[in-house]
Amino acid sequence: MELTPRVLDLNWSEVETKVKRFITDYVEKSGAEGVVLGLSGGVDSCTTAALSALAIGGDKVFGLLLPEQENYNTKDVEHVKLVAEKFGFKTEMIDITPTLEAFYNSIPIFETTDKLCKGNIKARARMIYIYYYANRLDILVCGGSDKSETMMGYFTKWGDVAADISPIMDLYKTQVRKLAQHIGVPKEIITKPATPALWPGQLAEEELGIKYEILDLILYGLEHFMKTEEIAQQLGIKKELVNKMKHRWLSMEHKRRMPLTTKIQYRTMGADFRLPSTRH
Amino acid sequence: MKDKVKVALAQISCKRGDKAANILKIEDKVTKAKQQGAELVIFPELSLTGYTMRDRVYELAETIPGYSTTVLGKLAKKTDTYIVFGMPELSEKTQATVYNVAVLLGPDGFIGKYRKMYLPTHSVFEEKRYFRPGYQTAVFETELGKIGLIICYDIFFPEVSRLTRLKGAQLIVCISASPATRRTFFETLTAARAIENTAFLAYVNLVGIEDGLQFGGGSRLVGPNGKVLVKAKYDEEDLVIGEINYADIRPTEAFVPILKDLRPELFDKLKETAEKL
Repeated sequence: MELTPRVLDLNWSEVETKVKRFITDYVEKSGAEGVVLGLSGGVDSCTTAALSALAIGGDKVFGLLLPEQENYNTKDVEHVKLVAEKFGFKTEMIDITPTLEAFYNSIPIFETTDKLCKGNIKARARMIYIYYYANRLDILVCGGSDKSETMMGYFTKWGDVAADISPIMDLYKTQVRKLAQHIGVPKEIITKPATPALWPGQLAEEELGIKYEILDLILYGLEHFMKTEEIAQQLGIKKELVNKMKHRWLSMEHKRRMPLTTKIQYRTMGADFRLPSTRH
Repeated sequence: MKDKVKVALAQISCKRGDKAANILKIEDKVTKAKQQGAELVIFPELSLTGYTMRDRVYELAETIPGYSTTVLGKLAKKTDTYIVFGMPELSEKTQATVYNVAVLLGPDGFIGKYRKMYLPTHSVFEEKRYFRPGYQTAVFETELGKIGLIICYDIFFPEVSRLTRLKGAQLIVCISASPATRRTFFETLTAARAIENTAFLAYVNLVGIEDGLQFGGGSRLVGPNGKVLVKAKYDEEDLVIGEINYADIRPTEAFVPILKDLRPELFDKLKETAEKL
């Protein structure tokens, strides 16, 4: 298999149709009134919101902006508004700073210098807001996680990844950018550097230690059962880098699964209790 | 036996686990197809229950003949049509041994069944976990000609279609539940199986979304020369009708005499070699 950027190139009209059909079908069958999304202003959430609006109509899509003081970025808010206006969905902005402060102040072992633990509170607090809207308005939570970040485990467990459906989770980051371009998401959103915005100055590629253009090809190779040596050779990179990404992908499986339990009884959740989704 | 047969490809989506709803849909499509002159109406794999049943298969499976084949047998009688559909079969001798089956019904009720031989258990498929494979090909002599039944992944194994053809089937019916991502495989293989066996091949695929899996449709009726006679839409429900003229087999068979040129001694070698793979 030839590992070039071309392998990531899909028929974007077909992909758009598939994703929209999936959203429409799931919302219809579940009997929900629409979807709610947390909107960071990044390409993943903006593209997912746009696709949702194209699929079920903007009046059934609700975008929540949940900024906080430490990472407040005017540009991100502007970008969300730009997409909402273009694709015709509603938004609401809630400053979650007081909520976060309440968490920080009430946790006896809270340590402000531990950026990751603190950042994860932000992602999980947002999840609570989003699910409140979902419950209250009888709508579904539509997640914006992509395949690159999900494979890398580059997300907060039960935080930003929490959703009822994740329509773009089978698309790598560079593919999401292409799909975004195809459906007309504004360029400035597509080209800006990815960040989970858990702390100031955090950048995804810097933290992962690799550019998405290379990472996606490595992950594509792993997805297609290629050997690490072959991937490294084809991409002209060190085998150690490929192995590092492979190790991260495998070691993060716990973040992508139902919590493991130990088998005691006849049929067990997450193991051999194998049921279809009840939504037809 | 008729020389010409009108075949309806009833490409439907199913309500999972709801046999009553699916029977209603089958009744509706058979009635519509009959109004358009169809004599044989074909539905996708596991169209009685939906494809993705997982552990629910044990409660959904029925013996054959049984309740659902009786209900749909009455429909065949009432509409004077032949019907092929898919369902999970519960073995009469056990309580939780199930097969993935294609059923053929006619104006006189139940005609026969075929138990899927090749059960995909890779990628998103887990059929071997639930189903016991069949061991026999199935060909039935009817007023509409000799009809052979195969199911989905069977089409990847040319020996199934070959054996079905050698037993006399001039129409091979392949019912399927294939995701859109495998479209190229099925479009190639349906033509290949028709050509290499000099037979008509009716392929009917499921549509709809089950557990995120989008079934691709694209059902088709293929002539013995590989020509697509009619085809259904991709990804959405459709009902298309095409006509088979059995006389078309003769010129194709004379032009490329594949069946005449068969070399049975190679089959022994194939067996010996395959065992050592």
